[in-house]
Amino acid sequence: MEWLSLFKHYSVLTIKERFQYKLNAILVSLAVFLREGATIAVIYFMLLRFGSINGWEMYELLFLYSYIFFTYGLFILFFTGLRDFEGLVRIGSFDRYLLRPRGLIFQIIVAKVDWFAAIGHGSLGLLLFLYSAFQVNVSWSAINITYCALAIIGGVLIQAAIFLLMASLSFTFISVSNLRQILYWNTRKFAGYPISIFHASIKILLIYIVPFAFVNYFPSQFLLHKTDMAEFPALYMYIAPAVGFALFGLAMLYWRYSLQFYKSTGN
Amino acid sequence: MDTVIECSALKKEFKINKRPKGFLGHMANLIVPKFEYKQAVSDISFRINRGDAVGFIGANGAGKSTTIKMLTGILAPTEGSITALGVHPQKDRKQYVAKIGAVFGQKSQLSWDLPVLDSFYLLQKIYQIPDQQFNQTLEQFTDILDMSGFIEQPVRQLSLGQRMRADIAASLLHKPELVFFDEPTIGLDVVAKEKIREFVRYLNREMQVTVIFTTHDMQDIEQVCQRLIIIDKGRKLYDGTVEGIKSTFGNEKKLIVQFESPACVYSIPGVSQKLKPNHVIEFSFSSDQVAVKDLVQALLAEHAVLDISITEQGIEQIIREIYEKGI
Repeated sequence: MEWLSLFKHYSVLTIKERFQYKLNAILVSLAVFLREGATIAVIYFMLLRFGSINGWEMYELLFLYSYIFFTYGLFILFFTGLRDFEGLVRIGSFDRYLLRPRGLIFQIIVAKVDWFAAIGHGSLGLLLFLYSAFQVNVSWSAINITYCALAIIGGVLIQAAIFLLMASLSFTFISVSNLRQILYWNTRKFAGYPISIFHASIKILLIYIVPFAFVNYFPSQFLLHKTDMAEFPALYMYIAPAVGFALFGLAMLYWRYSLQFYKSTGN
Repeated sequence: MDTVIECSALKKEFKINKRPKGFLGHMANLIVPKFEYKQAVSDISFRINRGDAVGFIGANGAGKSTTIKMLTGILAPTEGSITALGVHPQKDRKQYVAKIGAVFGQKSQLSWDLPVLDSFYLLQKIYQIPDQQFNQTLEQFTDILDMSGFIEQPVRQLSLGQRMRADIAASLLHKPELVFFDEPTIGLDVVAKEKIREFVRYLNREMQVTVIFTTHDMQDIEQVCQRLIIIDKGRKLYDGTVEGIKSTFGNEKKLIVQFESPACVYSIPGVSQKLKPNHVIEFSFSSDQVAVKDLVQALLAEHAVLDISITEQGIEQIIREIYEKGI
């Protein structure tokens, strides 16, 4: 548990660092909350007009959507360093990580634990999740709760795997922000809706290429049993939580392999 | 003697995307990228013993930073092998870096917005330094590096000299046996440089820490290091004592003589003359061809001499010539 104490130590430091600029620190959480809240408000009002999409009622859609927010909130808490990794490579400060006797991924994670952004994203996600979870028709049995918790961890890991892959690519390409914009952020926009409404190409994208479907769609289907699940293999619902663990493991292997390409810029 | 670093036939190649000029060339490059290989280090071998203080010099782009980065395990050599402190720097990274320290003059490891002490406490955690040892080391460094005045200030408020001292302390808290200093005196004033040299000397002589030091300031080398390695175009040009470089390359001497009246000195084999104002003649010669004593005697015997001074080539000058001409 020694690493936990180091994690705590780093957390305190990053919070202290943020509080050097007090106003900014408070505004970060608020800004994130408002920005994401606005997105949800748009969806909410749109749904009020349409009533349902492909058999999904409003609360079910919000439930589906809340996974994205909630997992991203958790992701941001632990993996901000991974998201911003290319910056470390570009200015060469990854050198310092290599010079310290700790695991590299561990250092990347703990050095940039972002409580403020996580509170902004996470609180919204949690609120939305809890709010919709009791409106939808799900019996919260022990099995369902366990599945849901594992699916959330899996969802966090899927996103972490995507960012770890980007981080590995940044050893070769230095700047990967546009690739990330295309692969992650643009794909994420589709993931807010039941994927059954999309063209086959988008379905392939969301299931096999940037597997957001395993972050929210398949886990929601396990709990909600909507009829549109019929067009996908039922197996996907059961393996959804495991996908994240598997992908993160693969991304770790690729990361190890890519390390040798690190060029270390500047003097 | 106890070997600390042994490296042989080190080579580091960087793959560089060669971008042709013009829009079409740019587009073509996107589809079929052309690469060229640039050798930063071509062939470098040496051995460093425990307790050595080795100066690493070379012009910008000579390959010294790349070499240091390979020695610290940051970069993987393209070819060649390194054994340092008995291990492979990259394969046994954690084990290796726990025993080394690295100071980069151009890259601070301190948190910009936090007091210096906070960074130190974090390093204590990272390196798992026992409280007692940590406090003792910290007290010692605060004293020698004169840090008590600013140790509780955020790093962003420190002067460059203060920041550098704090950075040095940060890299040494875990008592490494081998320390790399990569241009630690860059941009500092004379006094600040002197403090740093003094500290490195102390570290090397009193605490038996092996030191590898890169710099562009020859005074750093003369005051800190016994051994000098010169790197140029990715190859080792010289490896030997600091004194040795003077006798190997710096045997040119100058004798500056002021005569009472305009003098005409017959040409002497191996000696070149340069006429200066005020009846001064500058004689340049190589000390292994012409003995100073003979030259002075010859001059005094035939001319009325007011003043004589002799200069040796400084190390700075020698290095400049090596950078410009090669050996």
